[in-house]
Amino acid sequence: MGKKHLAAPKTKTGKSASSTQKEKIDKIVASVETLKADFEDHRYICSDQIATAVYLAYHLRKPILIEGPPGVGKTELAKTTAEMFELPLIRLQCYEGLDEAKAIYEWKYGKQLLYTQVLKETLDEVLQGARGFAESVNRLHEFGDIFFSEEFLEPRPLLKALKEEQGCVLLIDEVDKSDHEFESLLLEMLSDFQVSIPEIGTVKAAAEPPMVFLTSNNTREISDALKRRCLHLYIPFPDVELEQRIIHARVPEIPPNLQKQLVNFIQQLRDMDLKKVPAISETIDWARTLVLLHSERLDPQLVRDTLNVILKFQEDIENVDAEITTLTSNALK
Amino acid sequence: MDRTLTNFIRALRNSEVRISTAETLDAFNAVELVGYEDRAFLKRTLSLVLPKTADEKETFDNCFDQFFSFEDVRGERGARGGNGEGDDASADADEGGEGEGGGAGGETQPGERAAKGKSKAKKKKKKGGFDEEAEEEEDLGPGEMSEAASDLGKLLMGDSRVELSMAMAAAGEAVDVRSIQVFTQKGLYTRKVMEEMGLGGLNREIGELKEARRVPERRLGQELTRRRDWLREQVRDYVEKQFLLHADATGKRLREELLRKVKLSNVEHRSFRLIQEIVFKMAKKLAALHSRRKKVFKRGALNVPRTLRHNMAYDGAIFDLHWKSVKVDRPKVFAICDVSGSVANYARFMLMFLYSLEEVMPKVRSFAFSSDLAEVTDLFERNHIEEAISKTLRDYSGGSTDYGQAFVDFKKCCLDDVDNRTTIIILGDARNNYGDPRTDVLKEMYDRCKRLIWLNPEPRNSWNVGDSEMRKYMAYSHQVDECNSLMHLERVVGNLLRTVN
Repeated sequence: MGKKHLAAPKTKTGKSASSTQKEKIDKIVASVETLKADFEDHRYICSDQIATAVYLAYHLRKPILIEGPPGVGKTELAKTTAEMFELPLIRLQCYEGLDEAKAIYEWKYGKQLLYTQVLKETLDEVLQGARGFAESVNRLHEFGDIFFSEEFLEPRPLLKALKEEQGCVLLIDEVDKSDHEFESLLLEMLSDFQVSIPEIGTVKAAAEPPMVFLTSNNTREISDALKRRCLHLYIPFPDVELEQRIIHARVPEIPPNLQKQLVNFIQQLRDMDLKKVPAISETIDWARTLVLLHSERLDPQLVRDTLNVILKFQEDIENVDAEITTLTSNALK
Repeated sequence: MDRTLTNFIRALRNSEVRISTAETLDAFNAVELVGYEDRAFLKRTLSLVLPKTADEKETFDNCFDQFFSFEDVRGERGARGGNGEGDDASADADEGGEGEGGGAGGETQPGERAAKGKSKAKKKKKKGGFDEEAEEEEDLGPGEMSEAASDLGKLLMGDSRVELSMAMAAAGEAVDVRSIQVFTQKGLYTRKVMEEMGLGGLNREIGELKEARRVPERRLGQELTRRRDWLREQVRDYVEKQFLLHADATGKRLREELLRKVKLSNVEHRSFRLIQEIVFKMAKKLAALHSRRKKVFKRGALNVPRTLRHNMAYDGAIFDLHWKSVKVDRPKVFAICDVSGSVANYARFMLMFLYSLEEVMPKVRSFAFSSDLAEVTDLFERNHIEEAISKTLRDYSGGSTDYGQAFVDFKKCCLDDVDNRTTIIILGDARNNYGDPRTDVLKEMYDRCKRLIWLNPEPRNSWNVGDSEMRKYMAYSHQVDECNSLMHLERVVGNLLRTVN
């Protein structure tokens, strides 16, 4: 049973490589300003608040819980951070019914079964000469719990994130969609960067613990226990100036005039009583659409034709449709 | 230890931002990292660590601005420059409680700062216009002044605002200014702080100086009087700030506690806002308690498809069993409210309560009647809670109460929708003006629904008295409760969520 050599050595990357990467990250997060500039280089325009959050998260080694209306760039923040730090991004999408088998680890049952079948024959060799039942069992014990070792462990996102030697960015997306039970499961991970696996023991994070981002759309209240362990970042809709810069960064080919009008228009919509107000992602989509249509300025007809890009409910479209002329003329001012 | 921060956190807690000890520690670590130098940065930092909901963030913003209201002063100081005070200020901003104030220094940072700001402006004027002012009062003219004798006098003449405010802080601590409870105590505490700082001695000195023959001494007396008055203003400001930060909430809590128990019909109009807040708070608590959807496992009933799927990994050997379970339904509530004059207020708060619980009770339908009954669910869907309630009361509260008619209307309008998962809550005093009670219709409702709860705002001993039909209606209710305060309401709704589940 124990013939197979199971101690798989980890492929270790050179120490110098890891230290240079660490230096690089340190340089980026040296101050909020450098962090902000670097985000901008990666075409993510962020407010001071967001940059501060990442800065603190890195230095205090704390997860960030990001809340805010949909489409303001919560997930994007995690993605951009990973890109910026050149770390792998490990993503765990939450949904109702998500459990530890899908989030932390699972045993490779198939492999275990296959190996027992294959190794059945070798069992005789191992037990040869053993006298009595007690001695046989003792001999088997010498081989340890091979079938419940890391070799047979299928790591799921959380465990995978802990095992990344260089550190990584772990994104736990839409944590509010998961069950209460799962939230409790996360607590150990978030506060100590470790998970406990009954058969193996506690797995601690590698030298560099992962940077954890949790996002929530606030469909339900996240438990206090979880909130307590995180920094809490609320990303609201951006103001005019910030949104213009975002559009400029994301859709650089848009004429400056149109960019201004478009942002003004969207900002007006956000003040209206709509089922779903357009978020930044919708603004960007709209900007791309308008660029594609080679438009130079907003006019009511154009807006009417492309309204379905920014509004996702027929009811909203009808509501806005009635006021398109005034909205457009306001935006042009 | 950094007292400034702990005190800030205390002020936050007073404004009902919930902060745990762990978060306090986080805040310390964070502040260690960012320091106190950049105020905006500090604010951003703390707002990430301490408040954990959007509402709390708003409260935090206000609280922070109020507590750390010294930035402007420092800016001014920087502009003036060369004063040697900028250093002092930043030094004790960093070190919180250290310095002469001892245990007290940190506590009163904000107060000090504000005081300093004002003192600056005042002193400036004073110095500029010193000559004329002095001449107006008593023709002493500028010139040499003798040394002040009393401690406070020395301090006042010493021109060291830092020391002065330290002393003020220490005095504040000594008289325990933080235990101030209601605003009428402000005068008392101002006097206490002044006395602690040595007002007695100063007054005596001023008295003596007035009698003195030498001009420099009289001049000193005058100056001291002026500075004493100025100091009194500073102390008043300081006490006021402490009151806002520390006492406001306790006073409010006291009022809230009272309002919970008071009869809802006696609530004055001006308290409505506060009551509303309480209702929302209670509702939030209940919602948090019950937001988890419970499952009931049917022991012994195997969930075959699930079991098979999960055991494929074991080569089809079935040893990981899955049982059938049922998700417990959220209660489906029909609320029928008597909104005639006598009961209107109760209806108002019950509806408010039910609709604030949307998160855990998504299926509330409400009906209002005084003589005729109509469904008002739509109103609540389309409007804000308060607006909907006032519209309901406006449209339906006229007319004399007729329970019989209301039940008949209910039967006509939606008895068909009542099923064995429905809970019907009737809120009313059962005073039917001697009309036909129509218990037969109520019986029909009773038979169809899962639970019929009758809430009567009148005290039990006046049930069945006069035109009250409570006895007849009681026979067809699963549960009858007296309900006339927020506490009752909370209990009833809490039970609803617990048992009906």
